Amino acid sequence: MRKLCVVSAMTAVFLPLLAQSASTQYDPTQKPIAAVRRAGPPKGPVPRLPSGMVDLMDATWVGGGPVNDLEGQGGLKKGELDAILLPWAKALMATRDETQEPHNACLPMGVPRVTPFPYRFVQNYTHKPPTHMFILHEGNIHSYRQIFMDGRTHPAELDPTWYGHSIGRWEKDTLVIDTVGYNDKFWFDRRGHPHTEQLHTIERWTRLNLGEMENKVTIDDPGAYSKPFTLAFMATTTPGDELLEYICQENNQYGIQTIPGYKGPTFGGAPQK
Amino acid sequence: MRTTLAVLLACFGLLWVVVPVVAHHAVGAEYDASKPVKLTGTVTKIEWTNPHARIYFDVAQPDGTTVNWNVELAARSALVRQGWTARSLTIGDSVTIEGSQARSGANMVNARSVMLPDGKKVFSGENQ
Repeated sequence: MRKLCVVSAMTAVFLPLLAQSASTQYDPTQKPIAAVRRAGPPKGPVPRLPSGMVDLMDATWVGGGPVNDLEGQGGLKKGELDAILLPWAKALMATRDETQEPHNACLPMGVPRVTPFPYRFVQNYTHKPPTHMFILHEGNIHSYRQIFMDGRTHPAELDPTWYGHSIGRWEKDTLVIDTVGYNDKFWFDRRGHPHTEQLHTIERWTRLNLGEMENKVTIDDPGAYSKPFTLAFMATTTPGDELLEYICQENNQYGIQTIPGYKGPTFGGAPQK
Repeated sequence: MRTTLAVLLACFGLLWVVVPVVAHHAVGAEYDASKPVKLTGTVTKIEWTNPHARIYFDVAQPDGTTVNWNVELAARSALVRQGWTARSLTIGDSVTIEGSQARSGANMVNARSVMLPDGKKVFSGENQ
């Protein structure tokens, strides 16, 4: 009986898609698409490095941020976030539709947005204590975030970028990443929630167990929102998975022939100072 | 036999956790679910690429000409994770494609099913 269960479990892991097309109703208007079936995240205690520090680097992660809806996926009530959007930002958002988002043009997703594809935390290893943490993203474009862990502060003059200037520190078992210096180009989600170059994010990554990690993010952007707000997302590990090559620019045909009158991505839109 | 089947079903049920994975883009903005297509033709080109793998195939017309269709599949990396390779299909294969046509009316389809003449489905799984 036990052997039978193992065999069927193996089959469930390796051949799940044989029945998927029959079992999944296709509806292109549905937001989440069940593209991957796998066993759930592994159970077990939080793994630690020999130093006692929490290990975030032993696996790849998926999730941990918004894709479709910053408000709903971040745990806010419907309308709660939109109620604190400044009038110009609300007006801008009303002009946006999902076909215009920069992400469709193989541009970075910014922070705290994620993609369907995995990412990996990597800390440098030198004769000194670790000075840099990197988050390597498989998609939507191959990209990385660089987080300075050496105690430096943000520079006084910032050159706005897609991922900003990040400094990190450990607060007990939580990796805290403080980032400023963003450009205003990426959209927080497919709904088109905007932001400005005044954006300041504080991410608090806490590994809860072997398979799950919470990301609590505080977003402060007085240029677009009347007050700061905090969201919570859950990331999970994908056991045995590795990052794969994903060159989005290789063959991106988004919208060019499929959408009548497609004009390409729309950026920014904040009032000029 | 009945017990065996019950064990198999129970074990499958425990492990078949559906993980929602969202798309590179929302499919509905480009492809129209109200324009379903089912076409049979011959594969002329395979692009094993990101953000989507694509196949192109010729569909014979009643007047003797052919029309070439562009078929959007899932991301290459997603297909690889599901065990498919660029060799899962060969140029010259006869395929039947089911899916939704582009909103523009172009000969482009987001495939939900790519079937070989023997009924075997390749690149299965939802497109993303």
